[in-house]
Amino acid sequence: MEISTVKKNKQVLLYYCVEMEDVAHKIASESDSILLHSINWRSFADGFPNLFINNAHDIRGQHVAFLASFSSPAVIFEQLSVIFALPRLFVASFTLVLPFFPTGTFERMEEEGDVATAFTMARIISNIPMSRGGPTSLVIYDIHALQERFYFGDNVLPLFETGIPLLQRRLQLLPDSENIVIAFPDDGAWKRFHKQLVHYPTVICTKVREGDKRIVRLKEGNPAGCHVVIVDDLVQSGGTLIECQKVLAAHGASKVSAYVTHGIFPKRSWERFLHKNDGSEKAFTYFWTTDSCPHTVKAIANKAPFEVISLAGSIADALQI
Amino acid sequence: MSATTPPPALPSSQNTSNKLLNSIPILSQSFNRKKDYSIRCEFENNNSQRWTVGCVSGTDPIHIILKPPSFPMASATALSSSTVKNAKRVCLFYCNEMKDLAERIASQSDAIELRSITWRTFEDGFPNLFISNAHGIRGQHVAFLASFSSPGVIFEQLSVIYALPKLFVSSFTLVLPFFPTGTSERMEDEGDVATAFTLARILSNTPVPRGGPTSLVIFDIHALQERFYFGDNILPCFESGIPLLLNRLQQLPDSDNISLAFPDDGAWKRFHKQLQHFPMIVCAKVREGDQRIVRIKEGDPAGRHVVIVDDLVQSGGTLTECQKVLARHGAQKISAYVTHGIFPNRSWQRFNHDKGGSPENGMTYFWITDSCPRTVKEVKDKKPFEVLSLAAPIAAALQI
Repeated sequence: MEISTVKKNKQVLLYYCVEMEDVAHKIASESDSILLHSINWRSFADGFPNLFINNAHDIRGQHVAFLASFSSPAVIFEQLSVIFALPRLFVASFTLVLPFFPTGTFERMEEEGDVATAFTMARIISNIPMSRGGPTSLVIYDIHALQERFYFGDNVLPLFETGIPLLQRRLQLLPDSENIVIAFPDDGAWKRFHKQLVHYPTVICTKVREGDKRIVRLKEGNPAGCHVVIVDDLVQSGGTLIECQKVLAAHGASKVSAYVTHGIFPKRSWERFLHKNDGSEKAFTYFWTTDSCPHTVKAIANKAPFEVISLAGSIADALQI
Repeated sequence: MSATTPPPALPSSQNTSNKLLNSIPILSQSFNRKKDYSIRCEFENNNSQRWTVGCVSGTDPIHIILKPPSFPMASATALSSSTVKNAKRVCLFYCNEMKDLAERIASQSDAIELRSITWRTFEDGFPNLFISNAHGIRGQHVAFLASFSSPGVIFEQLSVIYALPKLFVSSFTLVLPFFPTGTSERMEDEGDVATAFTLARILSNTPVPRGGPTSLVIFDIHALQERFYFGDNILPCFESGIPLLLNRLQQLPDSDNISLAFPDDGAWKRFHKQLQHFPMIVCAKVREGDQRIVRIKEGDPAGRHVVIVDDLVQSGGTLTECQKVLARHGAQKISAYVTHGIFPNRSWQRFNHDKGGSPENGMTYFWITDSCPRTVKEVKDKKPFEVLSLAAPIAAALQI
């Protein structure tokens, strides 16, 4: 008789912020054990939040999670108020799912006086009250800088997940999956992701200084005749990706696609990647991103070359930990 | 003009009672009948320290200038630790919207020096901040003047608040004149989320610098129980704007005809001890069927210049109801004072100037402080509004 090693699924009550409503529904549809609960998000006349957690009594003794999204500073405070309140409602455990951890992507601590907003964010999260289940679990996908994991205090348990397995599954479905080469825009990206993509040949790019300019060059590998997929954790303006694509094409790549876990795309910078209908060459065949950044997901819906890969399945699994 | 409770040497509003003095003021004034006038009083307090209180109205906002005794004038006995403490040098940083108030605070005292922060944003909307001359503040007393006028500006200021204490400063003070949240919310059901508690918790987690826990200066916090929301790693210092009102009332030509009105018992409990010399009127909201109506519970406004006193104003509904009731009961003139003029959605527009006429049509004065900078900008030069600056009490609080 086989002893089942699969743990019984634990029931999780999932609350969510307004901008993550679609993702929350997808997560709940992945598993019968995940039930959606709602919060009344209103504001007072002075602009400050007027919040109500529905079914607050029913969540006693239950595993509770909150799906957050800090897409801009303005939405942080209202979500924090809920995040600080939920653990104290006698829940059995509390998990904060924050797929994209913002801040820290541009800032550099180079001089005394530079303010590390990533540290501020980590500090605030580290002060989430403990629940009966102990420290809050904190689920983050492809955090930008691995050292950020050390910014968190001991009262939270960070769980660092990645979207790369989702990319792998998608690549296996491509007709030319045998002809794929993975390209990394810099050594940093290679260090972070190459072990999860060992089955593919790799190409590594690098930025070199030529006078005043910084130019992307090919450092290792050969893209000639292949479908090259550039992999990185996030994209902002897209400048780096475009430079990489040009270099790869110049070295003979037959197709170039891109994957980033977090499509931040401030100020609609995704527009420069769209396929134009004027017969011009398509720079990117596919551009994959996840639904960690809901505003982007809305904007790029059904616009080639973009395809959104949902984190819902992965999050549903993480909630069982 | 009788001397009034001075902003004390080492202020804490609770201590004002034993600083009350009856010494004869030396009036030296220059009356400029055109628009503005200035009055300067000198008086001595119990410790033989000579203070100068100047009020310049006609500037906007009204500048109540507090000059602590300077060394040459102080008597030998007054060369106590308190005067030495008064010389504590403070580097004052500030958020953008509080720039004007920061400048006024710095002009109060040579010991307070303004420092700057570069406030920019990255493309993704998140803050890109730089504290100028970070090495230069090592070993210094440092303060930050904050304003959380909306949720969107909290994170950038918080980043600076969390960073400053760790730059080897000798002490850190956070001045947050108006503590938002908690004014409209009620914890009635399980499920109500106390955003006031969230904010207090976030502030309580400010890192502890050398010199011990951060001091947190708040003026007229809305609910006194909120003081208990703060953890032990922060030292809240609860101040009041009422002394500014007292000073202003003493300047009025009809200062002997003033009565104070409180919109509810709560306001009376909070403020009456700081305003003991005036006759008082207490209002109350009573239920009549579905409606809630303001009534006068105690006191008589007939023939008086009534000043309604409260900690803050939002839509102004309560103040308007009080005004109507007081006018009906024969008030000659009606004015109002609130420390915090929140006025969401420009609700200050409903308050008209009485233009010397009937109090049903408007108010004579509506005093607010500069705790809410957006409102200060909007009501500039608009009667009946007058802004009383918190610069002096803040400068004094920074010396604690």
